Amino acid sequence: MGSEDGKRHRLVLSLNQQQIELVDRTIANGFAESREALFRLALKEYDERRGAKADA
Amino acid sequence: MPDTAAVKKAQSRNERRLLDTRILEPGTGKAFELRKGEVLRIEQAVGNQCVDFNCFNLHDYKEFMHCGRTRTVHGFNPTEGDFLWSAPPRENAMLYILKDTVRRNDVLFPRCSAFLYESAYGFDVHTNCHDIQAEAQREYGLTPDDVHDSFNFFMCTEVARDGRATITRQNSNKGDHVDLVAMMDVLAIPNVCGADIMRTSNFALKPVRISIFEASENDLAAVPNVASMKSQRTPDQFRNAQIKATRELVADPDYVPEFVNTPIEEEQIVLELDEAEWAIFEEHARRDIYGDDHGAAFRDILFSWWEDRFLNAASGAPSTSGKTHD
Ligand SMILES: [Zn+2]
Repeated sequence: MGSEDGKRHRLVLSLNQQQIELVDRTIANGFAESREALFRLALKEYDERRGAKADA
Repeated sequence: MPDTAAVKKAQSRNERRLLDTRILEPGTGKAFELRKGEVLRIEQAVGNQCVDFNCFNLHDYKEFMHCGRTRTVHGFNPTEGDFLWSAPPRENAMLYILKDTVRRNDVLFPRCSAFLYESAYGFDVHTNCHDIQAEAQREYGLTPDDVHDSFNFFMCTEVARDGRATITRQNSNKGDHVDLVAMMDVLAIPNVCGADIMRTSNFALKPVRISIFEASENDLAAVPNVASMKSQRTPDQFRNAQIKATRELVADPDYVPEFVNTPIEEEQIVLELDEAEWAIFEEHARRDIYGDDHGAAFRDILFSWWEDRFLNAASGAPSTSGKTHD
């Protein structure tokens, strides 16, 4: 994930217990190894999907 | 030489037994008991007539057809291949539209009412769908307050660019019909829409024919399977299953609220992005909505992605298959 000495940007996500349940259930279904990995996957796939077309 | 046995067998699979057929005269409606597996046909006897429709669970009138859910799942003009759903917390498929020869029905407009004809046209008394429904439902002990939002068969409507729904003239002919298969025992109440001074039924009231059939084997085979969900609740799961019998609303002194998953509590989760990821994030972050709240912007991306990836129905519409992911 990026270079060792590159600048890191820190985000703080506020998720409630239901949102976390959905995140963790998606992980349990095998789509990512961890919450962090799922967040990165979401960003990557969101970009791939939206990159080609205008954002709604 | 045709195999007569095979031909007969094919015919029998297609055979519907007629149980009842009658004409609904203009200004009237009628409640019909429809058992699971029976077919209700609403047919143009002349043509160009809108038919308003209510539907209740025959064994529990508190479960009734819900235009809101129906239009969320199937759009503004439900037709062949769509279901008529009951209201939450039941959310059962009540009827299935097996055949629709015109394919123009409406779930945007409410039933017309006496108020409309008085306020807009000056009538003291005028045929109107609310009162016709109420009078037909009275046969089963229901009150005028029990009439619910109507499914409007053969009614042509559109949504204009300014967001308003508009009614247009229709073009249905004698013999055009909708066939509804009962997915449960229901009380089905069609009525001839009373609007003769609107374009709904092209400015005239005409009779319609109602027929009830025992479905053929092929009819039943054509109905898609609907998944059942835990959330489709029944009164035995209600904290208060008693139907209120008084009109006055009075607070229960012993009431203790029990809302699910409360209190809603947020947890802070830290995520670090490198330069490349940050650039992608910046490109998609909705600053117009979230400003400098990067966490909120990322949360939007996260759940928007989830919708794209795993939902098979649009805009939070309940999935008819009940399957959101595997
Ligand atoms: Zn009407």
